[in-house]
Amino acid sequence: MTPKKFDYYAPTTINEAIQILHDNEDSKVLAGGQSLLALMKLRLAAPASLVDISKLENMSYVREEKDYLAIGALTIHDIIEHNQFIKDHFTILTDAASKIGDQQIRNKGTIGGSSCHADPAADLPTALTALAVNFVVVGKNGQRVIPAKDFFVDTFTTSVGKDEVVTEVRIPYLPPHSGSGYIKHSRREGDFAIVGVGAVVTVGEGNICKDVRIGLGAVGAIPLRATKAEEYLKGKTLDDKNIVAAAEVANDGADPPSDMHGSREYRLEMIKVFTKRTLKLAMSRVK
Amino acid sequence: MQSLKTDMITVTCKINGKEYSGMVEPRTLLVHFLRDDLNLTGTHIGCDTGHCGACTIFMNGKTVKSCMVLAIQAQGANLMTVEGLADGDKLHPIQEAYWENHGLQCGYCTPGMLMSSLFLLQRNPDPTEEEIRRGIEGNLCRCTGYVNIVKSIKAAAKKMQQQQGSAAPSIQAKAGH
Amino acid sequence: MATVTELVKAEEEAKPKLWLGQPLKRKEDPRLISGLGKYVDDVKLPGLAYASILRSPYAHARIKSIDTSKAEKLTGVLCVITGRDVVKITDPFLQISPAPANKLKDYCLAVDKVTYVGDPVAAVVAESRGIAEDALELIEVEYEPVDHVIDARRALEKDAPVLHEEVGSNLVFYGKWDYGNIEQAIKTADKVVKATLHFHRFSSTPIENNGVVVNYDRATGFLNIYCNNQMPMFCIPWLSFGLRFPSNRIRMITGDIGGGFGTKIINYPYIALVAILAMKTGRPVKWTEDRREHLAAANHGNERTFDVEVPVKRDGTILGFKLKAFDDCGAYTRYEPAGAAIWAQVTPGCYHFANFVMEFYQVMTNKCPVGPNRGYSRSQHLWMLERSVDIVARELGLDPAEVRLKNFVRPDEMPYVTPSGGIYDGGNYGESLRKVMKLIDYDGIREEQAASRRKGGKLIGIGLATVLDSGTNNFGQVKIVNPENPFSGNSEAARISIDGLGQIQVALGTVPQGQGHETFASQVVADEFGVSPDQVTVLMGFDSGTNPYSHQSGSYASRSAVMGTGALLGAAKKVKEKAAKIAAHLLQTSPEKIDFREGAAVDRETGKKIPLWQIGNVAWVNNLLLPEGMEPGLVAINFWRPSFTLPDEKWRHNQTLTYSYQSHAAVIELDPESGKFKILRYAIVDDCGTQINPLIVEGQVHGAAAHGIGAAMYENFEYDEENGQLKSSTFIDYLVPTALDIPHMITSHIETPSLFAPKGIRGVGEGGCTPVGAISNAVEDALAPLGIRITDSHQNPQQIHKLIREKASK
Repeated sequence: MTPKKFDYYAPTTINEAIQILHDNEDSKVLAGGQSLLALMKLRLAAPASLVDISKLENMSYVREEKDYLAIGALTIHDIIEHNQFIKDHFTILTDAASKIGDQQIRNKGTIGGSSCHADPAADLPTALTALAVNFVVVGKNGQRVIPAKDFFVDTFTTSVGKDEVVTEVRIPYLPPHSGSGYIKHSRREGDFAIVGVGAVVTVGEGNICKDVRIGLGAVGAIPLRATKAEEYLKGKTLDDKNIVAAAEVANDGADPPSDMHGSREYRLEMIKVFTKRTLKLAMSRVK
Repeated sequence: MQSLKTDMITVTCKINGKEYSGMVEPRTLLVHFLRDDLNLTGTHIGCDTGHCGACTIFMNGKTVKSCMVLAIQAQGANLMTVEGLADGDKLHPIQEAYWENHGLQCGYCTPGMLMSSLFLLQRNPDPTEEEIRRGIEGNLCRCTGYVNIVKSIKAAAKKMQQQQGSAAPSIQAKAGH
Repeated sequence: MATVTELVKAEEEAKPKLWLGQPLKRKEDPRLISGLGKYVDDVKLPGLAYASILRSPYAHARIKSIDTSKAEKLTGVLCVITGRDVVKITDPFLQISPAPANKLKDYCLAVDKVTYVGDPVAAVVAESRGIAEDALELIEVEYEPVDHVIDARRALEKDAPVLHEEVGSNLVFYGKWDYGNIEQAIKTADKVVKATLHFHRFSSTPIENNGVVVNYDRATGFLNIYCNNQMPMFCIPWLSFGLRFPSNRIRMITGDIGGGFGTKIINYPYIALVAILAMKTGRPVKWTEDRREHLAAANHGNERTFDVEVPVKRDGTILGFKLKAFDDCGAYTRYEPAGAAIWAQVTPGCYHFANFVMEFYQVMTNKCPVGPNRGYSRSQHLWMLERSVDIVARELGLDPAEVRLKNFVRPDEMPYVTPSGGIYDGGNYGESLRKVMKLIDYDGIREEQAASRRKGGKLIGIGLATVLDSGTNNFGQVKIVNPENPFSGNSEAARISIDGLGQIQVALGTVPQGQGHETFASQVVADEFGVSPDQVTVLMGFDSGTNPYSHQSGSYASRSAVMGTGALLGAAKKVKEKAAKIAAHLLQTSPEKIDFREGAAVDRETGKKIPLWQIGNVAWVNNLLLPEGMEPGLVAINFWRPSFTLPDEKWRHNQTLTYSYQSHAAVIELDPESGKFKILRYAIVDDCGTQINPLIVEGQVHGAAAHGIGAAMYENFEYDEENGQLKSSTFIDYLVPTALDIPHMITSHIETPSLFAPKGIRGVGEGGCTPVGAISNAVEDALAPLGIRITDSHQNPQQIHKLIREKASK
């Protein structure tokens, strides 16, 4: 129950944080702590130093910029869940945030922390993948932007450098006549997904699919895009027949794990079922 | 900036309106700090992975699981535990409601459950059953089957609406708003 | 002249209003809602040190060597011990199995080998919890893994790995119960329905884990043990013989306990371990169990497979049951094989068939030791019966409700003697089932279901189950597994005193874990003395230094209300007799004319009163006013025991005093694409006889139902075939239902008083795991158009999905 000993730092500026991360070989960033502390209590993780960035100022916000919505990395899930702009324009994110854990966890866990923790079965990474967001990362060499497709690299691993900190998540605005949604298939509501599917659709005249992105969670080492299904749908009418057909190929490229809640075979099947349902959900929200 | 090697460090915070101070290691969990160092044993421990919610307290106005927070992170914070619910001898309406509606049996999950109930009702003074159940999703109970807990929260909502304005301010202050 | 109506009314009003039956707020609550509960982890003693336990990562392995030197050198570590140390200073724990299983050597730490993942291997005491855990990582253990076995049937095979060489095989107990003539029944049956059913492994996982604080007081030579064991005095022989420590210097103390449900009965090895650590270090030592430890190594419920044959007539009459059961009891027998005989408390369930054969095998495997879990050993049997009755109905093309009603024991058959000698103490199973069917709107749902099936819409299923909660056990039942076991009957103790100021104090031997003993005891005693429950103080928790007890005392087996009331009424009688004599002496009248009401002894004829405080005063400090020759004081201890017999040569005897029962109905909606389902509606009718406090009773019913729903839908201790690892090792994977997972439950009750228990009360605490039956029946009902058979007590969506696909591909 008690973590192994560690050195603790609570920097007040981002540069301090970066410097400490740089200077300490085995250091890890602590944001909300709802993922990392659980692992440390089980002694499955034991960084020699913890860099607590929760005291950094101006890292919690939801701001409408010109081409994207900017969300500060330390914005808690609870704020994201209840934000009206996000509900109206990126319902997939509202869905995902609302299904994380429980109220207490949503009161503390952050979008930056959840993304960097990169648990393949987590909800936000899947939704952010479907939204094709950009992560703003700050390090010793300054600021850079990592698109979602390059951000998640492996289980619990991102392309964020050892001494870099994610400061912001940028969600490109969706074109008009777009809709989105996220459905999690799990045993209980707040559990990690057996399969999580996030879908973003943009339609044209007669419900022709102008664009579609489908993010899959808990089906491999990182959140996947169901590219085969996406390709099938582009240019076709987003009706039941095509949705079902697309869902049939949604698990192409997925390499899901097996555990007591979902065998590999089961997950491969569930990808189809829930891709279908999430596409329909996204369609129902097209304005 | 705080930069600490693995020595003991003093943590000072406000709990239930009173100032507390103690020495902790960086790795000391907030729940252990409360229970072992400050003798506030009302907050309980039921698991290792942040699921059961028995350790739920208010930290700067929001409910958190105190087993998933380091004591050191409470430096300068405003906390409320179950010991701060009552106003001297006067029970909080939520406590009364639980008592009247048999919302507890062994009492072990109860402190955390009361905290989550309060947070829910502060945000949503007239919740539906679905909203109540969602509000206490992070608090496991093995005795009651939740039926009477839901009943207690509904009753508490009524009581709080009737008493609006009287009990609220001191609780708000204690809870760190 | 008063009318008859007026006279009757006046008589009614003159009757003292009884506290028994009132839904009073609980006395326990004020401290619990204020965070002032006193649980074992709240116990603080000067100089307290902390223990941690190193556990086996292997399911089955020899311990080749253990090097504790690095751990011992860590600053703050006070001592490190292993099985080698324990073996020198303790004796193996008592076993209740027959030979050769009783040769099993069970110590508080593994000695030569480990036999399950989580098996304790070494223990550390340190100045802080953190250091104690750090030290564990410095202990070097060399293991030699050997083959493991996690299936009971497999464990009986000749070439299966044997867990304990001193026993020679993995068989703990084999017994055959044979009543009536099952072969004849099979011959004359229209059909013999067959099934193989599996009841899975789960546990009630109270939110408070196990914990022990031991303070060995060198001055007095007393071992003071603070724990959360549910029957601490029952543990005394295990602790005393095991530790080689005299029983008359062991003090057991329990405070508030955060739930037990049976799972805090076999934690005595941990008590022994901490006692050793306390004596070795000379410091009070505290051990609090982590949730991970609890899930792997505290207490799992019995896992049982049944081969079932049910001879039936075409009209649904059940002629009997022929059964073979394989009970997987894990790596050590700590309360087992009691479970091998306990199911026979309810041999035929609620049904009156007379032909019955059970061949029961209890087998050890490389899994967590099994111990009592809510509905201990009866849940398994009753689920098998409820599942089988539904299968019978399905194979005969009859409605499951009709088959039940046809085969239920009838009220006019009460007290009903079962084939194994159980004596059911009253009840109306038919009324209970009909009532729950009405509550759930059974006919309406059947119509909805039919309509939905016609449209090819959602899969709706209805499941019923009627199950017994047999309470207040006869320990004589353990003579079935070994006739030499020196246990029989049951007993409980209570003490009532009226002090020198007339204040009433009560102390019980029961050990509450949330059942409200302080409350119900004050209600019972208040009625006896004509006071209000507020005027009765009941000591909180249990302390062998201050409470009366028998070595069967505790709270388990749904027995506290019955046994506690029995003991209280006896104690009250003794105190009242004496108080009446004193009052009569002071009033110069005869004791037979004295009633107790409104805090006084009242002469029924003259209306003259003596307040309790005056009686107390005379008894304790003013004794020259006592009747000639009367002993001073006004206190009585009473031991109560129910009337039981020992098993006869065919193992027949009444194994419990009371038989509460519940009928449950579940309506589910199943999503065939994912195998997941949700409960749309849930109803319960319960009968626990006279209810002391309806609020408490209803709470017990809700809680038991939640455990059953959790077991049916979410909770499963699953082990990996390949490596014997426990997959559900934390609350991430062992899924305890949240408020979103348990539906609202519609409840109602029937109250048919017990024919045998004091005041007609029946124990209600355990429940009986009824939802496991109702839900598995509902799932099969939902899938009925696909002809799928449900044979497991646990419903995992991926398993249901698999069954659907397999059927579809045929």
